[in-house]
Amino acid sequence: MSDAKSSAPQPLYSLAGVGRSYSKGGITVEAVRSIDLDIAAGEMVSLEGPSGSGKSTLLQLIGALDAPTRGSIRFNGRELAHESQKELTRLRSEEIGFVFQHFNLIPTLTAQENVAIAMVPSGASRSARSERAEGLLQQVGLGHRLHHLPTRLSGGEQQRVAIARALANSPRVVIADEPTGNLDSETAAEVISVLAGLRDTAGVTLILATHDDEIGRIAEHRVRLRDGSIV
Amino acid sequence: MTLSYVWNELHRRAGRTIVTALGLAAGVGLVMAIIGVSDGLSQAQNRILSPLGTVGTDLIVTRTVAPTTSTATTVPSQGGFGGQGGAAAGQGGTGGGFFAGGPGGGSGLAQLNGADTSALLNANSSVLTDLSKLGPAGTNFVHDFFVPGTLITFPDQAVSVVSTIPGVSSAVGALSLQALHESGTVPTIVASIKTGGQTISASTTPPPLTSAQQAAIFSCLQKSGLLSGGGAFGGGGSTGPGAGGGGGARVAIRPTDPAFIKCLPAAQQAFITKVVVPAETIRQVLNPPSTNTTTSSYTVAGVDPTHPNSGVITKAQLVSGHWFDTTPAHEVLVNNAYANTKKLSVGTTLTINGVSYTIVGLVAPTLTGNVSDIYFDLATLQSLSTNSARVNEVLVAVHNSSQVNAVAATIHKELPGAQVLTSRDLADQVTGSLSNAHRLATDLGGALAIVVLLAAFVIAGLLTLSNVAKRVREIGSLRAMGWSRGLVVRQLMTETLAIGVLGGVLGIGLGALISVVIGAVGPGLSVTSSGLAVGASTVSPLLNQSVTGTITTVVHLTAPISAKAVGLGFAGALVGGLLAGVLGGWRAARLSPASALRDLG
Ligand SMILES: Nc1ncnc2c1ncn2[C@@H]1O[C@H](COP(=O)(O)OP(=O)(O)OP(=O)(O)O)[C@@H](O)[C@H]1O
Ligand SMILES: [Mg+2]
Repeated sequence: MSDAKSSAPQPLYSLAGVGRSYSKGGITVEAVRSIDLDIAAGEMVSLEGPSGSGKSTLLQLIGALDAPTRGSIRFNGRELAHESQKELTRLRSEEIGFVFQHFNLIPTLTAQENVAIAMVPSGASRSARSERAEGLLQQVGLGHRLHHLPTRLSGGEQQRVAIARALANSPRVVIADEPTGNLDSETAAEVISVLAGLRDTAGVTLILATHDDEIGRIAEHRVRLRDGSIV
Repeated sequence: MTLSYVWNELHRRAGRTIVTALGLAAGVGLVMAIIGVSDGLSQAQNRILSPLGTVGTDLIVTRTVAPTTSTATTVPSQGGFGGQGGAAAGQGGTGGGFFAGGPGGGSGLAQLNGADTSALLNANSSVLTDLSKLGPAGTNFVHDFFVPGTLITFPDQAVSVVSTIPGVSSAVGALSLQALHESGTVPTIVASIKTGGQTISASTTPPPLTSAQQAAIFSCLQKSGLLSGGGAFGGGGSTGPGAGGGGGARVAIRPTDPAFIKCLPAAQQAFITKVVVPAETIRQVLNPPSTNTTTSSYTVAGVDPTHPNSGVITKAQLVSGHWFDTTPAHEVLVNNAYANTKKLSVGTTLTINGVSYTIVGLVAPTLTGNVSDIYFDLATLQSLSTNSARVNEVLVAVHNSSQVNAVAATIHKELPGAQVLTSRDLADQVTGSLSNAHRLATDLGGALAIVVLLAAFVIAGLLTLSNVAKRVREIGSLRAMGWSRGLVVRQLMTETLAIGVLGGVLGIGLGALISVVIGAVGPGLSVTSSGLAVGASTVSPLLNQSVTGTITTVVHLTAPISAKAVGLGFAGALVGGLLAGVLGGWRAARLSPASALRDLG
């Protein structure tokens, strides 16, 4: 929004010394430890690393789904630790879209309804939500699947519905956790091209956790994690 | 959108929706059925068991034996004086005076039970002792005897006494009797049995009456109007021991008559109270002569035909035929149930002790109060049973039901020894499966309804929790895409509330169905009322027979659905839905948005 004003481009995200530990039964697991990371607006970042290296944990922190146990995360200049739950919820609604490995579509809602439901917190009217959902689905190439339930869509189609849903409130950031993890390589390629298109046409900042080298290759910024730390 | 989300959740997860709704529906249906059964039983009870109100009677005044009301004052041992024995035994008439034997009467007449027993036995003894009058030994006889059972008769002036009590709108007298239809051979042994004739042995001889005392008594009796026939007192009043017997039998004075007693010197007053019931009378009845006599019993009542709207039977209770006409002497009304068992109908003629009576109407008396088999005109029954100008029940209507207790108290005061029964007292005498079922329905029904509803709530709650558990990732995703906790909770609550509405509607249908089924195949419930217990236990053993003064009616169980039941059932379902929603919402609110990323399983 106000990026154009500042002469030096301020990073959208600024992480300093971020750590997240889980304590369970006296054992403390450091899922993420001391991460320093800046992410510029419009950038595509891929988080890579072996299983258990902390990719998902870091995405939860960046997406304001979870709070770090140490360090600071600034989003657009706001310190997330200082924001109320209500503000974080609004932040998620307005600024961040999520795409999950398992798509997480609501099984009882059609493609269009799944997209539209993301706009409920924005207070948009029913018809506005439906209309926009339809447009977004057309944008991801699913204009002919509006009224299909998730079970009647292929994995690639479901993930494209999920991408459309993530875009519902025109977020600045889309966070995706292994978006191609459940897809075959051909379908994965489709999804990757849709995601890349977001960055290219709408300037959406993309932060993805992935094992998929195809994604890493088109990302501007590849971050490798091991045992919760950047290597 | 949330509503369409709700709708989609409900109809696309129809299994969960229907199972949860059916759980609530079962609860609602059962609660409605329980309420319905309880209502049905209440209605049946009100219809059958509150007859006094429906026949315009608020109180029934009787003079029954009350064996537990003994308030005997110790009478100093004065010793007997035989001459008085004749007077004591001379109770040729029926029963004691109504006004005799009031509790705490001050004049030493506190031995109420003795007086009651005396009156009772005298009134009922004619059954056996009078057999000799039916003919010479060996001849066959058929005869109907009328005995008052436990309801002692009293002069019908009590009716006018009661009718003048403030608050009383009407008082009608009635005579309810136990009829014994006996047939057999006149036994030879009967001739040797005497009524009365008791000998009272005295350990000390009381001082003979001085001539001054005799004169005082004589003038006192004359003053009180008791001494109409000359020499009545003198006949039994000599001082010779054992002079009673037959002589006394012609004395018109009843020794329990307070007016009479008042005329006696103090020592004699006390003595009379003590010897009211000679033990011989009891023994006589307890050891009846063995004959081939067969006895069947039925109950009769004399009603005042000039009061067709109040009394033991009313015109409103006619099911066929008509009420007594202007010359009712040879007319009877018959209890519909009795007519059915005896195959009687309107127009049938009954012959009782050689007189014909035509059945002019069949009646359906209410259960409590005094139910009889045959209803005579009061005067007819009084003469048939030699109870001239005597009744044993007064049916009282009051102007205002709030006056019932005050009127009852006044009656007690005006008529010492009277027993006053209110509708409530009568309802308390009712037993049988209906009253048991009603008690069960009121006592346990409420608890059962609560348990059933709670069970439905628990089921709905558990199903909702399981639904939330299945939707952890979905809920996490909603939170991740910016749904607030409140929005998620509202979504889940709306879902369960809608299920509650559905459950309520299905439950109302189910309840209506149960109601119809109960109405169609519902079990019959018996109602037994002891009523006023004519001819009940006190006399029955004496007559060597079991006479039941009870009546049993069977009513069909119904479970009417009231607006209240529908409302309560529906509200119950809504509460169930809301509670389930609160539970599910609480669970969902505790889910972190990060649950969206949780792995399956
Ligand atoms: N909620 C949690 N409670 C306890 N430990 C957790 C929790 N979430 C993650 N961890 C632990 O933190 C570490 C990092 O997990 P994370 O899911 O971030 O790894 P990942 O890089 O996403 O792995 P994968 O490639 O398998 O998805 C792991 O050791 C994991 O067991
Ligand atoms: Mg992961």
